[in-house]
Amino acid sequence: MTSGIELRGVTRWYGNVVALNDVSMTVGPGITGLLGPNGAGKTTLLNLMAGFLEPSRGELTVGGRPSWRNPEIFTMLGLVPERDSVYAFLTGYDFVRSTARLHRLPDPDGAARRAIGILDMADAQDRRIATYSKGMRQRIKVAAALVHDPQLLLLDEPFNGMDPRQRLQMMDLLEDMAGQGRTILFSSHILEEVERMSGTIQVVVGGRLAASGDFRAIRRLMTSRPHVFLVRSSSDRALGAALIGRPAVTGVELTPRGLQVRTSDFGTFSRELAGLCRAAGIRLREVLPSDESLESVFSYLVAS
Amino acid sequence: MASDESAAGGGVIHDIGYRSYDGPRVGRRGIAAALCWQSLRAAFGFGRGAKAKIVPVIAFVIMCTPAVVNAIALALGRSHTPVVKYDTYVNTLRVLVTLLFVAVQAPELVARDLRSRVLPLYFARPIRRHDYPAAKYAAFVLACLAMIDIPVLLLYVGTIFQVHGGGQIWTQTKAMIPGLLIGLMWSLVLAAIGLALASVSGRRAFSTGAVVIFLFLTWTLALVLTRIVQAPVRPVAGLRAHAAVPASAHLFGLISPYTVMDGVRQWLGGTNPGIVANPGKYGIAYGVMLLVFLGVSLGALFARYASVSAS
Amino acid sequence: MSGLLNPVVLRITLRATLGRKRALVFTLVPLVLILITVALKLVAKSPVWPAEFLGAFGFSVVLPLTALIIGTSVLGAEIDDGSIIHLLATPVSRLSVVLSKFVAAVALTVAFGAIPEYLAAVIAKGFGAPLSTGLLAGALVACVGYNALFVMLSLLTARAIAVGLLYLLVWEGLLGNLIGGVRILSVGQYSVSVANAIASTSALNAHLTIQTALIMAALVTVVTLAVATRRLSSFSIKGDAV
Repeated sequence: MTSGIELRGVTRWYGNVVALNDVSMTVGPGITGLLGPNGAGKTTLLNLMAGFLEPSRGELTVGGRPSWRNPEIFTMLGLVPERDSVYAFLTGYDFVRSTARLHRLPDPDGAARRAIGILDMADAQDRRIATYSKGMRQRIKVAAALVHDPQLLLLDEPFNGMDPRQRLQMMDLLEDMAGQGRTILFSSHILEEVERMSGTIQVVVGGRLAASGDFRAIRRLMTSRPHVFLVRSSSDRALGAALIGRPAVTGVELTPRGLQVRTSDFGTFSRELAGLCRAAGIRLREVLPSDESLESVFSYLVAS
Repeated sequence: MASDESAAGGGVIHDIGYRSYDGPRVGRRGIAAALCWQSLRAAFGFGRGAKAKIVPVIAFVIMCTPAVVNAIALALGRSHTPVVKYDTYVNTLRVLVTLLFVAVQAPELVARDLRSRVLPLYFARPIRRHDYPAAKYAAFVLACLAMIDIPVLLLYVGTIFQVHGGGQIWTQTKAMIPGLLIGLMWSLVLAAIGLALASVSGRRAFSTGAVVIFLFLTWTLALVLTRIVQAPVRPVAGLRAHAAVPASAHLFGLISPYTVMDGVRQWLGGTNPGIVANPGKYGIAYGVMLLVFLGVSLGALFARYASVSAS
Repeated sequence: MSGLLNPVVLRITLRATLGRKRALVFTLVPLVLILITVALKLVAKSPVWPAEFLGAFGFSVVLPLTALIIGTSVLGAEIDDGSIIHLLATPVSRLSVVLSKFVAAVALTVAFGAIPEYLAAVIAKGFGAPLSTGLLAGALVACVGYNALFVMLSLLTARAIAVGLLYLLVWEGLLGNLIGGVRILSVGQYSVSVANAIASTSALNAHLTIQTALIMAALVTVVTLAVATRRLSSFSIKGDAV
């Protein structure tokens, strides 16, 4: 029995609006980031995986079984929803322990304490959730989702409302859990968050799966747009003159920070650069890709 | 994508065509009017999707039904005078339907803004604090007026088609005018009470519950208590004792806005039998109570919006 | 331990409904009922007042309204603010959720509606009086029937209380008094008929036999709860940002 999530040709529409269009993917152990602009279909995808929506077409299985109308999948699945709503009148501990009891755990108190400890909420656990800050609410939601030690964890925009320190702690936690062999899927529209996490990303744009895999690898696949490098050397101008003569280079620009080189063929350029410098007697100090961030991946994907 | 290099220490804001607006601006009055119009539409579910119109439409149809039935009855010659009177209309039906309308629609006007916390946005505009509840009140009064008086007008139209002679038409018109004014009274009072109670909570369900509890319970209570107090001590079979209505019966009528309004109607000269018996010398108490209901509700409504927090 | 009722859901629902100041509002109306009953007992001269007051006011108005407010909010409030998803993201069966919510609603309505009604009847007429027993029986039928209906409504529409009010005022109130056929599908009629079968008073506007009333009430309860369970199984969440 696989413990991952499998989608095959999943399509979901509401009347005339197609929210997800023919999405096929496999989510396995480790961290997967679901990336896309607002309205792309990330929440729809998560709801489909959690069994709160039925695919209009296609198949979706979680751990080998379809999730639709199958609450039993929640024995191995934990869900952290996006909305801020939690039972505000319960204390944090009460909420997590009630969730543990709903999962029919043999030791709800112990499980609750453990989960709360992992999320570092022990000091606040006896206060009512209504008094929590937004970041605390997120953490108590994650604690409740973890209380039954699930193999799969789905998080919808988990870093919403967290300050940078809390974000880092959460990321560390997720990476720990992924290291234990769990399958973690989280959605985000904020690029820095997804950028930091190791593992694969699935990019959803306009209801379609636009790209899957490691984001740097994805970036490299897009040879239609030039890569941009920032090169610092002992003589930028001379290097620029030498580079512009090469077919792989489409443009050079002298900037105060260094020589900005645009290339259409990353592979060839990187092979040739060192040789070119030695031949011209120029010392290379630094070669930096100046746009290999998710930002550029994203905007290229969105723009195309 | 490399970022733009700026000159050392400086920044440039590019003129990409942004222009500020120098044209005429709608002032307080315009804003209040827009708010009023939008609330009036919301009271009937316009601009909110089909489901929002269900209750207003059903309520309106039911309200008009007696007028239609009356017109048909007259046309078929079943009776020569309108069965349904202008000022009392069909009592129980009008009470229940207006109750439903106010309970369900008043929250549509006020609770939604509270829930989505847009009030600070409203008050960041050049309107005064009391403009908001005033606009809402005006809108809801108009809505209730439409609900109550349009059927009265329909009744009128249906009747004058059947009567002959200008004298008859004039009689009908004279009878209708008080009916329209009674409708106005109902609108003023019910809108005030409905909005005041509805503005208590941001959740529509609670607001509706509050309005229903107050209006429905007081009305039933008034009726039941009045009936009990007026029941003969020893029930005599077949004989309806027309004993003098005890004072307590009149006083029980003061607890419900509906009975108070009916009492005021009779105190001001209405003769058709209504929900309560003629208050007689207690009429002035009814009049005062009407003003109390109106004053307290409006006071509460305006006070509610006098202080609005940003979160 | 997977029974049909889930004690955790029950507990959370009871706490949610009774939380904060709301519980005070729930005690207000039965308090008024009992106080007026006491006052009438001391003052009223006519012997028909208990049936009149408790029947027309307590039974036909207070009880349905209490059931409306409680029944639409046990599930409706959580659906409205989205916290239901925490309950649904567990392996608890949807039937169990619906039944537990329903039982909580019935318990609350019995506590805040049926019991005060019974107490008032006892104050008015005494323990063994047919009116007291009749009203209690009818009130229990009302609690069950109304709450089943309103719990289902809260799953079918976001405006459950408006539709419920429409049902009470228009269907049961207006039409029920005009058209005979409507009475077969009126929970109010079931409860009143059951009460009347025991209490035998004309103040209760009853038109069905006790057998019909009980059978129909059971039928309505089962059907509405089944529909509710089905709806909850296919419940979909709409996120805030799409």
